[in-house]
Parts: sequence; structure tokens; C-alpha cells
Amino acid sequence: MDRREFLKRTAVLGLGGAALLLPGSVRRAFGAREGLPGLAAVRGGEPGEMFDRGVAALGGMERFVKKGQTVVIKPNMSWDVPPERGGNTNPELVERIVRRCLEAGATKVYAFDHTCDLWRNSYRNSGVEEAVKRGGGVAAPADASGYFQKVSLPGGRALKETAVHELMLECDVFINIPVLKHHGGAGITMGMKNLMGTVWNRGEFHSKGLHQCIADVSLFRRPALTVIDAYRMMTRNGPRGTSEGDVTVLKAQILSTDIVAGDAAAARIFGADPKSVPYIRSAAEMGVGTMDLESLGVERIAL
Amino acid sequence: MKKRAAKARFLLALSLAVLFLAFFLFRSGTAGKPLLPALQAVPSVLRWWGGAAMLALGALLSGRAYCSVLCPLGTFQEAVWRCGGRRLSGYTPGSPARYWTLVLVLAAGVAGMAAIPALLDPYAAFGRGVTQLLRPVLAGGIDGLAGFLENLGLFGVISRAGRIPFVPGLFWSTAVFFLALTLWSLRKGRPFCGTLCPVGTFLGLFSRSSLLSVRFSGESCTGCGLCGAVCPQECISVKERTVDADRCVLCLRCVSACPGGALALAFGGGGESLSRRGLLRAVAGTAAALGLALWSGRKDGTVPAGASSRDEKLSISPPGSKSRGNFTKKCVACTACVTACPAGILRPSLGEWGAEGVFQPVLDYRRGYCQYGCTACGDACPTGAIESLEQGEKQLVSIGKARFLRRNCIVRKHGTACGACSEHCPTQAMRMVPFRGGLTIPELDPAICLGCGACEYACPAEPKAVSVSGLAVHGKIRQVSGGSGGPTVAPLEEFPF
Repeated sequence: MDRREFLKRTAVLGLGGAALLLPGSVRRAFGAREGLPGLAAVRGGEPGEMFDRGVAALGGMERFVKKGQTVVIKPNMSWDVPPERGGNTNPELVERIVRRCLEAGATKVYAFDHTCDLWRNSYRNSGVEEAVKRGGGVAAPADASGYFQKVSLPGGRALKETAVHELMLECDVFINIPVLKHHGGAGITMGMKNLMGTVWNRGEFHSKGLHQCIADVSLFRRPALTVIDAYRMMTRNGPRGTSEGDVTVLKAQILSTDIVAGDAAAARIFGADPKSVPYIRSAAEMGVGTMDLESLGVERIAL
Repeated sequence: MKKRAAKARFLLALSLAVLFLAFFLFRSGTAGKPLLPALQAVPSVLRWWGGAAMLALGALLSGRAYCSVLCPLGTFQEAVWRCGGRRLSGYTPGSPARYWTLVLVLAAGVAGMAAIPALLDPYAAFGRGVTQLLRPVLAGGIDGLAGFLENLGLFGVISRAGRIPFVPGLFWSTAVFFLALTLWSLRKGRPFCGTLCPVGTFLGLFSRSSLLSVRFSGESCTGCGLCGAVCPQECISVKERTVDADRCVLCLRCVSACPGGALALAFGGGGESLSRRGLLRAVAGTAAALGLALWSGRKDGTVPAGASSRDEKLSISPPGSKSRGNFTKKCVACTACVTACPAGILRPSLGEWGAEGVFQPVLDYRRGYCQYGCTACGDACPTGAIESLEQGEKQLVSIGKARFLRRNCIVRKHGTACGACSEHCPTQAMRMVPFRGGLTIPELDPAICLGCGACEYACPAEPKAVSVSGLAVHGKIRQVSGGSGGPTVAPLEEFPF
């Protein structure tokens, strides 16, 4: 991407952000496809089948991925722990999403995460790297500053600029695939917190105010789809966890076209009031998305 | 057949040296315990007394064949010299200085001056040469190629080699050592083996009585001197028709070069096998080796101390090293662990272990932290300075203790949420507890702190609100992981929205 194109895209994103400030009804008329729900909540199935049912309710994968597009998915594979520990996104879910993207006509699907533990170990032992490959995608490294490019966040309150992974700038479609977990610092981690793995300087978030920075970075590029994995939910000792005893097998999943709404729904599943989570509240105030699920249209699916 | 013997021996030595290269070049990761470095003389003596006995026995059987086959630094010198192609004079008398070097090395080892044995151990010197001089070039090439492929959209085709900590003092001293050795080898064949090497000199104590040796036999010698020209040890006296068994490394080049077949590898000692002197030397050598081995194996007297004040920060030795005393006594600074550490946090020290322990590695948490599931350094170490641990075992070994300095903490200073330390803590020794205004603040339980440095590395505060100080004697924490059984199974019954 050259600079001009980047500026153009930034402008478009800015306008998009501004449009979000409009009332929900107006926005729906522009954004969401007529009659389709913006959020699907699924429970009682395996990760892959829950995704298939949920995405069908949202209008199918073709709503998000068009033929010839490149897709970047951002799973959480930040920790050097096996899937049973619930520290990272479920590999089966990641594999299914990669496969569905390719079936919808994507030319290339990339996955990356700026990990907390050592990237090689985390990619491997989380099982996510292997899942991406099985699905037909590419697990790209994000362990060196050279992969990241500086961007500005005009609407940011605490974070005015940051460096994001170059794939975030180059891709046509961005899909966010966090896992729902307890988090010692942020309370709960899910959609927006997962975006912290798209930036290089994570420490800055902590020193400039964690919650506001999480809300600010969500301004940069809103995912076309956020799939929150709540198949295994870490209820304490997060985000890394110390044993499988920290995990509840919940068998749930949230799919949302609006990252804030997705987080609001997931917070309720965790047992928290979304308004009590500062980054959700800030992001809603800044117009990143809405906490009002019903304005988006919710499809509830039990398997 | 005789012609081929020398060639086969050299090819074997070369291929072993290439294996050594690979060992020092690439991160071993999960490769397991490497056999070849463990067979090296100094590491095996340091690891267990049986190693010293094996070494002595080997020398009694085949003299200094070790030098011409197993020693990578010997092979390096021979290769350099053969590239240069200089013909040597045939005979120079052995330098008595080598005995004093051996005495110095043994004395320094026993006195705890590890830097002197570390400097002269041929295995360790070779290791440093590879990691300091060759690896940066090769790793740069590999990483450049990886970057090029990534630009073409080809991710993960080749893995990056990654960098290891660069310590200028170590780089330059290694560079000077190898430059000098290269120039010296071009002129003199295997000069290190004949004058400085403590291992070679030690083996030489036995080789005169060894079962196998190269000797003049029969009357076919014409005195042409071809053998002397190809002898890298300059230990063949054509005039007297003798081979100095103290220095002969059984490289067999003279045997191959001799047109008349006057030189041969033969059974039976080199002429002095049964003399009282030979016996005395062998006994003295065995005693020295066993003494060193027993000394290095004895329980060390490190006092289990932590830092004496809150500001003091003791150096941290790798998990498996058991104690500062054990580690600094046995480490020859070969840098195998430095390359093996996937986090790149093992850095050759510059005085953290005292001047006598210079270049023995230390954990540097400014570069990263010790990965909870990783045992790579212990797996790579051949001397027992870092013992190989099972993953479960390692996850209970405490190498240091964190100290939480609440006044520096972001949560307290700025009143904003953080928790980076707790996030990274694998045992939740650093856990978040309620603080004012709905915030949470770290609380430290030193009893389950491993000292892995994850909290210190992750702490965004300036100055850091948490820092880890080493334990002089490593401790053990109670089991924290996997103790509480499996997960709770409670599928979501209805949507709370």
C-alpha cells in the first residue's frame, strides 16, 4: 500500500467512524444489510459448528468476505499454553473460520498475534498456528518491530498514534477472533482487548491508561466480524491461567458485526455489566460501536 | 590402505566438527541432550568422576587420538594449516611450558578461578568462536533471506535464526584469539595442541604408555623427511627415528606420507611403556583428573542467601544450575546455552559472577524472561553447570525472588488499570487484588515465585515496580499448576441478554 492509498483509507475509516456517531436507526439503514441481525449468540455446540450456525444467521460468510479479497484474522495466541487451558482462541474455531474465508473466495488468509510469551512457543503450543495451516491459511510472524507501521489515531483520547502490524493495513477484510477470559488488569478480555495484539508497543497501553488505550486502538480498524470464543472460559487467574481448574467449559460463542456490542454481550456471559467495564463504556461513548444489542438485531441460537 | 587411513581420520574429524558447528549455530530448542559435547574432555571431567576415568583409560588405549578426532579446535587448526599447505620442519623439541599451563589450569580450577580453564579449554574456545564470530554472519544471512521471502508473501518458509546477546568484550577477545590461532596454525600446524592445551598435555601424560602408537619399525626408513614435513605437531625426529609420543595425536599423516612404510600405527607402547617414569606420569595424571572431578562433584558451600537489602539485586543463574557455587565452578563459558535459549536472555557476564567468572552467562531480564515451559539451557549444557531438568521439575525451581515496589506501580501512581506483571506470571505469585475505585493492584506471594522475570520484563513503570533478585542457592516452590483437577463443565443454559 502506498501513502496515498493509505491516506485515502484512513479518511474513509474516519468518515466511517463519524457515521457511527449518527443514531442507530440511521446507521442501520447505511451499514447493516436489510433485515439481517448484527449479532448472533450461539450455545451448546462444538466451536466449528457454532460458528457455522452463527455466521449463517448473520447472512453467511459471503456477507463479510468477497471473492478475491485478502483476509487477516486475529486470534488470541498470546500464551504458551495448550488449548485446554483456555488461554488462547480455540484452534478448531480458528481452523473453521480460515476454511470458510477461503470457501467464500478469499485469495489469502493471514493470522498473526504479537504474543506475550515467546512467539514461536505460543504459536506452536496454542495449537492455533497448526489450525491456521490446516485451514489453508498462513500464520505470519509478529515478533519484530519491522513488521509494524506507525499509524495515527485521530480520535484517540489517550493513544494518539501507535504502530500496527502491516497486514492490518494491507488486508481487505479484518476478522477478530478473541477468547473470552478473566483478566487481572482489565477485568475481562475479549474483542477490543484482543486488538492489543495488533500493535507493537504493548507496554505503552499499560503506562498510558489501559482501558482508554484499548478503546482508542479499536478506532483504527473496526473488524468486519468479531467472533468471541467462549467455548472454554477462563474464570480466574487470567489472562494466562495456572491450570485447567481456572476454566469453565461453557460452549458458547458470540458473532458480532459491531465489536462493542460483541464485547457487551460477552461481558454479560462472563457475569459482568458491560457498563462496569471501562473500555466498553469508553468505546461506546467514542462511537466505536454500541452497547445497545437490540438496536443491532440479535439472533439467539441453541444447539 | 595406509594412504586412506589418514584421509578417513580427517574426514571423520571434519564431520564431527561440522556437527559441533551445528550445535553452536542453531537454537537447539527441544533437541534433547546432545551427545557430542558431553564427550568432550573438560565437560566430561566436570560432569562426573567417571568422565575423568574414561578419559584416562582412553589415553592409555590410544594416546592422544582424541585430539585428532574428537576435538573441534584441533580439527580447526589442522584444517587451517592444510589450507595454507605449509610444509613443516619435522622436529622441534616439546615445550615444557605446557606442563606449567596444565598445572596453572588445574590450580585455577580448584581455586575457583573458572576463567582460566574456560579460556584454555579447547571445546569452550571453539564454541565461543562459533557463536561469536560465525553465528552473527550466518544468522544475519538466514534472517535476511527470511525477510526477503516474507516480502514475497512467503511466511514461515524458513525460520529466523534470531539474535543472541552481543557482548563486545567477548566478541573482541574471541576475535583476537581466533585471528592469532589462525596465523599461528598457518605457520605451525597444531600449535595450540603442543604448547597451550591442558587437555592435550593431560592426555600426553598417558600416551607414552598407550597401547596404540605411531612408531618407526623395521629398517626401511631412508631418512627422506617426508613424514616430518606433514606432521602438524612437529614431533618426528627422523635423525633419531623416534616419534615423541607425548605430542603425537595419531593423525596418521606421517604413516600415509612415508613411501617406504617405515612408520606404522602399532600395538605396544612407544618404547617407554614399562618404565617407572611412565608409570609415575600416568598415576599422577589419573590422580589429577580424578581429583578435579571429585572436587567439581563435591557439594558446594554456597550459602543460601537472598539480597541483603531491597536495593541489592543479585545475579541470577539459569534453572538447573542449583546454586551460584555449582554454576560458576563448572561453567566453561562455551556459550552453548546462550545460543540454545529461545528467549535470548542468557547473556555472557562481564563481572556479575566476579572477574574470575567472566563470560559465564547470567539471566538478563531486560531482554525477556525465562519461559515457563522451556528447559533448553540445561539440555544444551555439557558440563553439569546447568543440569537438564524435566519440564515439570523446572516449573518448580525458584532461581530468584521478585520484589514488588508498590510506590512505583502504575496503578498507585497514575490511578489507572495495569496488571501487566500478573498477566505474565505463570504461577500467579503476582496476582491482582482489589484496590481503590474498582482498580486492582498486584500482590506478591514470594512462596510461589519462580524468579522467572516475566513480571519485571512486562512492568511498564519507569522505574520498574517489580524487580527480581537471584537466589544464591535455588529453591523449590509448591505445586501450583494442575493441582486443582480439570475444568468445570457448565454449558451456558440461557443467554443473559
